[in-house]
Amino acid sequence: MSLIKDFTKGIYRENPVFRLVLGMCPFLAVTTSVENALGMGAAATFVLICSNFLVSLFRNIIPSKVRIPCYIVIIATFVTLVDMVMNAYLPDLHRSLGIFIPLIVVNCIILGRAEGFANRHPVLNSIADAVGMGIGFTLAMVILASFRELLGNGTLLNINVLGSAYQNQPLLIAILAPGAFILLSFILGFFNILEKRKGGRQ
Amino acid sequence: MAQTRRFELAMSPHVGANQTTRKIMFDVVIALLPALAAATWFFGPRALLIVFLSAATAVVAEFLCLKFMKRPVSFALDGSAIVTGMLLAYNLPSGVPIWLPVIGTAFAIVVGKQAFGGLGHNIVNPALLGRAFLMASFPILMTAGWAAPEAWNSSEDISWGTSGIAMEEMSTIPMADAISGATPLNVLKQTFDLDASAANARNEGNTTEAQSLEERADGIRSALSCNSTYMNLLIGRSGGCLGETSVILLLVGAIYLVMRGVLELRLPVSYLGTVAVLAWVFGGSGWFNGDPLFHVLAGGVILGGIFMVSDMVTTPVTPKGRIIFGIGAGLLTMVIRRWGGYPEGCSYSILLMNLVTPLIDKLTLPRVFGEVKKNG
Repeated sequence: MSLIKDFTKGIYRENPVFRLVLGMCPFLAVTTSVENALGMGAAATFVLICSNFLVSLFRNIIPSKVRIPCYIVIIATFVTLVDMVMNAYLPDLHRSLGIFIPLIVVNCIILGRAEGFANRHPVLNSIADAVGMGIGFTLAMVILASFRELLGNGTLLNINVLGSAYQNQPLLIAILAPGAFILLSFILGFFNILEKRKGGRQ
Repeated sequence: MAQTRRFELAMSPHVGANQTTRKIMFDVVIALLPALAAATWFFGPRALLIVFLSAATAVVAEFLCLKFMKRPVSFALDGSAIVTGMLLAYNLPSGVPIWLPVIGTAFAIVVGKQAFGGLGHNIVNPALLGRAFLMASFPILMTAGWAAPEAWNSSEDISWGTSGIAMEEMSTIPMADAISGATPLNVLKQTFDLDASAANARNEGNTTEAQSLEERADGIRSALSCNSTYMNLLIGRSGGCLGETSVILLLVGAIYLVMRGVLELRLPVSYLGTVAVLAWVFGGSGWFNGDPLFHVLAGGVILGGIFMVSDMVTTPVTPKGRIIFGIGAGLLTMVIRRWGGYPEGCSYSILLMNLVTPLIDKLTLPRVFGEVKKNG
């Protein structure tokens, strides 16, 4: 029962982006297209699952004074793996994500789950938590990226949705950095209203 | 009640005055009308349509926001939305498609103003934010739609400078067709580019080419600094945004605002003064030989200096702070004009200074009456 709860809380109730407001750098930077968002989400989820698994497995061995360096080593190992695999098999995606792949090492969601969850929960719960958080992160990125790609380029997953007339004069700002902040604020506001309504009914 | 909200715009002690937001805003609207007449005369009835659409969108957007936030909808008619809409339209080229002012104004009101809590709570000037939004979103539409004033086409004196060199320069702009023209500041920016290529040529040892480039740049500059150019800029017979061209009619509005006690002179005077001084210092090709009159008359500094630098919500309330604000905005304007990527820096300079307004207010807070100066 608690396994399911650990899994589902990352998707909405403790969504890393919309509720905990973590991992903002990759979230704002790579959501220029849905494809990038999915790629980044998959990479981060993979690293998250692996690091949560190992951290949880070694949680009684790692001395608490040096635990952060240990987490970093574990996370960096998997990030390097992802970096190399993506470079080999998905070179285009690798190029467009650029520096944000190596930067997964310092993604605060991954470090946060290692420190805040995996080092005091059993292995299975930690994996469930990682999968839930990973999906929540990916989902959040896809939501923002859909708005940005649709408004800023008229496409979704590179498929023309709004027509070529729109593509001649798209709302360019949505693809640019200010557009990410403005749209994020609207999405966060929407979720806050949702929470408020829910709280009111109880 | 919106109509009776008192508007306090200075540090205490206060003297009561019969001012309301509504009265002030409608004074500003009246002050904007002469420039609207000039825009309609020079750019045709389309200018009127753009300004009307913009103002109407502003009121509708404000109404919907207030409705959504369950606040009194009468605020939508306090005039501030109309001012925002008009000012944004004054910042657009006349050739823009009619949906552009609608989108820009809606953004200005919804994101720039109401999202922060409505009038009095916005951090930056909503009209300028709308302009910045449109510049980022539709850079081509916002810079290619410079229609030459209609009066040009019928006139034999087709360039706003008498020298044919300026005209020849304008016709080399790639986007130019029969009726589009460059703004005076665009042409000035080109002379800086010519200077740069001249310096390049000189470095490569190509002295004759460098000399001819320099002569071209100087020729254009002298064409910009002649009396007929000044006259055209003064009456508004030049390319530019709808509301920025006619300096003389903008000044008529300013005089009205000063007489009504709405416009406080510290802000515009320190702003325009800084622009003029810095134009002389580095506005020309070298040092201390710029043309202050051209820099003040051309572009948007008069419009910005009267109606945007003096926005009560987003500029400092202390007397000293207002002078600092004007100087800072003037400095940024001239730096952008001389070295920046855009020909005109008025709007961005004011937006940037808006952001530091709370800081300026804090630093220049007057001493409380009776308070003893520390270590004094």
